[in-house]
Amino acid sequence: MHYWRLERSAWKPGLTQLHDLGLPIVETYVPWQVHEVAPGEYDFGKTDARKDIGAFIDIAAELGLLVFVRPGPHINAEMTYFGLPERIVYDRACQARSPRQNPVIQGFPPRMFPVPSYASRTFFDELGRWYDAVGEVLAPRLWPSGPIVLFQIDNEASYYFRDAAYDQDYHPDAVADWRKFLEKRYGNLANTSAAHSTKYARWDDAKPPERFSAETPEELVVHLDWATFREDMIASSLGRMKRRLGKAGLRGPVTVHNFPLGDQGAVMSSPALEKVVDLVGFDYYHARRDHRTIKRRTLYLAGTHPLPYAPEMGVGAPAWFTPLANEDSLFTVLVALAYGLRGFNLYMAVDRDRWYGAPIDARGNPRVEAGAWKHLITTLTEIGFHKLSRRAEVGLMLPREYARLSKATSLLGFFSPTVIEALGGNPVQACREDTFGFEGPIQVLWWKFLARFADALTAAGVPYVYVDGDVASERLEALRALITPSYELCDPARWKRVTAFAENGGTVVYGPAMPGLDLSAKRTLFEVPSGARRVYIDTDDDARGVVHDLVCELPLAQPFPVRPAPLETSVHEDESGPRVLFIINPTKRSVTAEVDVPAEMTFEDLLCGERFEGRGTVSVPMKGWSCRMLSLRGEAKRSSESGTAVAS
Amino acid sequence: MISASLSFEGFDSRSWANLLSLFAPNVMHRMTTEAVNSDAPEVEEEAAPGRRGTLVIVLDDRERVLKALHTIEGRIKDLEYEGADSLEAMAERWGAARCIVLREGVVEEISERVAHRIERGDDYVSQLLTTARAVREMSEAGLLLSWPRPLEHVPIPTIGMVRRALDSVLPEDRAVVFVIWNRSAPWTGLVLRRNGSEIDLVAGPDLIARWTGPLGGDWRRDYRVIGDAVERAVAPVHLGIYTDLATVRELLRGYEPGAWARAVAVRDIIVHPTPPYVAVALGADAVRKAAAESARWLGGIDAIGQLAPLARYLRGRFTEIASVTATLGFDPLKLLSIWLRRQEEQEALTDQADEEE
Repeated sequence: MHYWRLERSAWKPGLTQLHDLGLPIVETYVPWQVHEVAPGEYDFGKTDARKDIGAFIDIAAELGLLVFVRPGPHINAEMTYFGLPERIVYDRACQARSPRQNPVIQGFPPRMFPVPSYASRTFFDELGRWYDAVGEVLAPRLWPSGPIVLFQIDNEASYYFRDAAYDQDYHPDAVADWRKFLEKRYGNLANTSAAHSTKYARWDDAKPPERFSAETPEELVVHLDWATFREDMIASSLGRMKRRLGKAGLRGPVTVHNFPLGDQGAVMSSPALEKVVDLVGFDYYHARRDHRTIKRRTLYLAGTHPLPYAPEMGVGAPAWFTPLANEDSLFTVLVALAYGLRGFNLYMAVDRDRWYGAPIDARGNPRVEAGAWKHLITTLTEIGFHKLSRRAEVGLMLPREYARLSKATSLLGFFSPTVIEALGGNPVQACREDTFGFEGPIQVLWWKFLARFADALTAAGVPYVYVDGDVASERLEALRALITPSYELCDPARWKRVTAFAENGGTVVYGPAMPGLDLSAKRTLFEVPSGARRVYIDTDDDARGVVHDLVCELPLAQPFPVRPAPLETSVHEDESGPRVLFIINPTKRSVTAEVDVPAEMTFEDLLCGERFEGRGTVSVPMKGWSCRMLSLRGEAKRSSESGTAVAS
Repeated sequence: MISASLSFEGFDSRSWANLLSLFAPNVMHRMTTEAVNSDAPEVEEEAAPGRRGTLVIVLDDRERVLKALHTIEGRIKDLEYEGADSLEAMAERWGAARCIVLREGVVEEISERVAHRIERGDDYVSQLLTTARAVREMSEAGLLLSWPRPLEHVPIPTIGMVRRALDSVLPEDRAVVFVIWNRSAPWTGLVLRRNGSEIDLVAGPDLIARWTGPLGGDWRRDYRVIGDAVERAVAPVHLGIYTDLATVRELLRGYEPGAWARAVAVRDIIVHPTPPYVAVALGADAVRKAAAESARWLGGIDAIGQLAPLARYLRGRFTEIASVTATLGFDPLKLLSIWLRRQEEQEALTDQADEEE
């Protein structure tokens, strides 16, 4: 709910209705641009009552709401200059730079603008003053004496959607940081020269690459370093922002960051970011046709992060975005819940400027859509959905080093892997097809390898998750099998985690190649994971065959099989057994789902109350693009041998 | 022309979708089309589906293919580039509606040029024109080829030309209103306001309802209430278009001569007030209708065409005053209807491909 965009008289009705939806927390940005009336001068309600963020938070607290605050500096929020003061974005010292030292332009309406540099010292000096000012208002309202329990650091850290590998940042401060990064990585200039297959006479010679130029594995190293540095720059900048917030008195609440759409193409490792903030989540703005994407993103969150969370679960959208109906939003949240989402922020709950489709209008009146959201949230609360878990025994590993290679080799400039993925493509879609002396184009093949296994696991009804290659070993403990693409080039640290997983009794499936080169393209001895299976996946059938073998040999659970394809089920359980079953119809056509159950069972649709009974099979009619959330009732039983389970 | 503080408000998801379904039907159609059934789709030449999406080919300096992809169907392996004259044939072969061939680095070059040229204070339209010019430069240098090229011979207008066109459509400190009813209730609506030289308000049905209060349910009467309310709350109305859903769908998708003029005459659509350029457009529409009819009656003799010198003179007088067509160099109504029809044809092809699948 954006307090500054609403009449003050709408605050209380809006917050009341929001609370009535069953939401326990209200979230708001705090835009620097809105509160700064002159350089170093801020209005928090003294002149304009709509800017009284303190009063807004106090009203929320009176109504029993907790508060989630996002003070930027970047907030997007469809604001001109993404919520930054105009003087900041047009300050040359603050601006990110292109290879030719031009500013880097963000193209969203109603104004294109030069984006700030995540490395600029001047920008951070200015930001410190903003944080000090907003800190004075917010610090007295922090939990436990106040309602503020969550803080977001910055927003959608994707270099303002100008995140192609060679878009930015060539700001002098960024270039200085690049050299420090190399020194830390390689120890000295001689080692750096050796790694980059060149001769740097002094550090000033170690310039960042301005375009992709590699033809051999050795020449790839500088580009992979650049991709890693750009991830590092975002993480260290957010870390700096967090420390600066702390200095402004804003210390204590849980810190959050959100990835926009296109997360697999993003210039950021979410596990690395989780070392900076407490909670990393993805924003969801999807239509019903995007089932596959919703599933993939949620399975990534479920496999990579301890709390799968959506800092923005789109309800409506900005006018210049893909048009979304309320049915799209409801389908998206149900499918995300089905695959393991455990928390979400309805964005927007209350309508506002440059937005359409929120369930509460800008005067605080509920729209007709509010009823469905209230029913859903109430139901989730009543069944204690957050306490349930979705068991997955198989992990598909996304190697970060191959993702970096994909970013470096993407050919469409501004249309970066993030942008292409956000537009409905995939993060390797625009990568060049060169092989660089390897057996094949790694930057394209790794994604295809995983896609084939994802389809094979889905077809077999085996629950799985995606795990980021950067995750700590503890995140792999719940898995029984780990499937990872592997090629000649590999990150030794990641491979060690893979071999450790095998040593601890897990089954590793890798292929097609056994790695032999580290990230400096140096020949390295990689250990073969204990008992691992090396596979060559050239067709979809190859992947199906491997999955079939795993299912038979391990064996793997295939709970609540459903026909016809491509319908899917997803079961959530607690210590007593399965409690909630989702049936998902990802197609446009209506169809009857035939769900296999091992005994007489009753399903009850938790949202519409319909009941379905059966012995051996339960038939459930499914509309096109629909997802049912069903409670399970039947004989108490659990059978790990058959991989099926029945609720009590 | 577009205010930095542009306000867009008053739409729920239905009214916004309804508005888009009229003016961007392909966008709405795409939202209800099933996505490709793979996270890493690939397309084979023989298996190319119906004409949709774009074939994108990236070449290096030696015209070696670095990448080929179909924006919907996915990766293309081993595509052979056959030269600048082959774009249409390649699009056909790979089941694409468009084909773009670009040299490596062209997108980056466009980005650099735009960044170098955009200045603080530039309006969004001006920024878009700067971008369009950079793209055109790449095209003229042969580094960016595309098929089809419907705007190949259309000069990129200057910001002054666009402003003059806007002056005709929506003069300073005036509003335009567009409301469509479905039976007795507004189905969607739009109010645009020009505040000084800039458009600063895009308002939807929620806001319009707040200004009007409850309506009677008969749109042929309610339109006056809306016009008056907008006048009070926003600005004097320069152009108001009020109609029902069936009529507007028919009018926007057809380009039958005289259809607009006839709809206005029988009050299937109410245009109030009627600025000069709309009167000209409606008059021209009626003339076109008469020309078509007379040619049919007279066995192909274009009677109205014989009066061309007089018609040209009269039309010239009008355009001196307010003709958007003269300012822009094309007939926007005609372009809109052709564009919508083309989108519908595209949708039909996509549906056909889906069914065949």
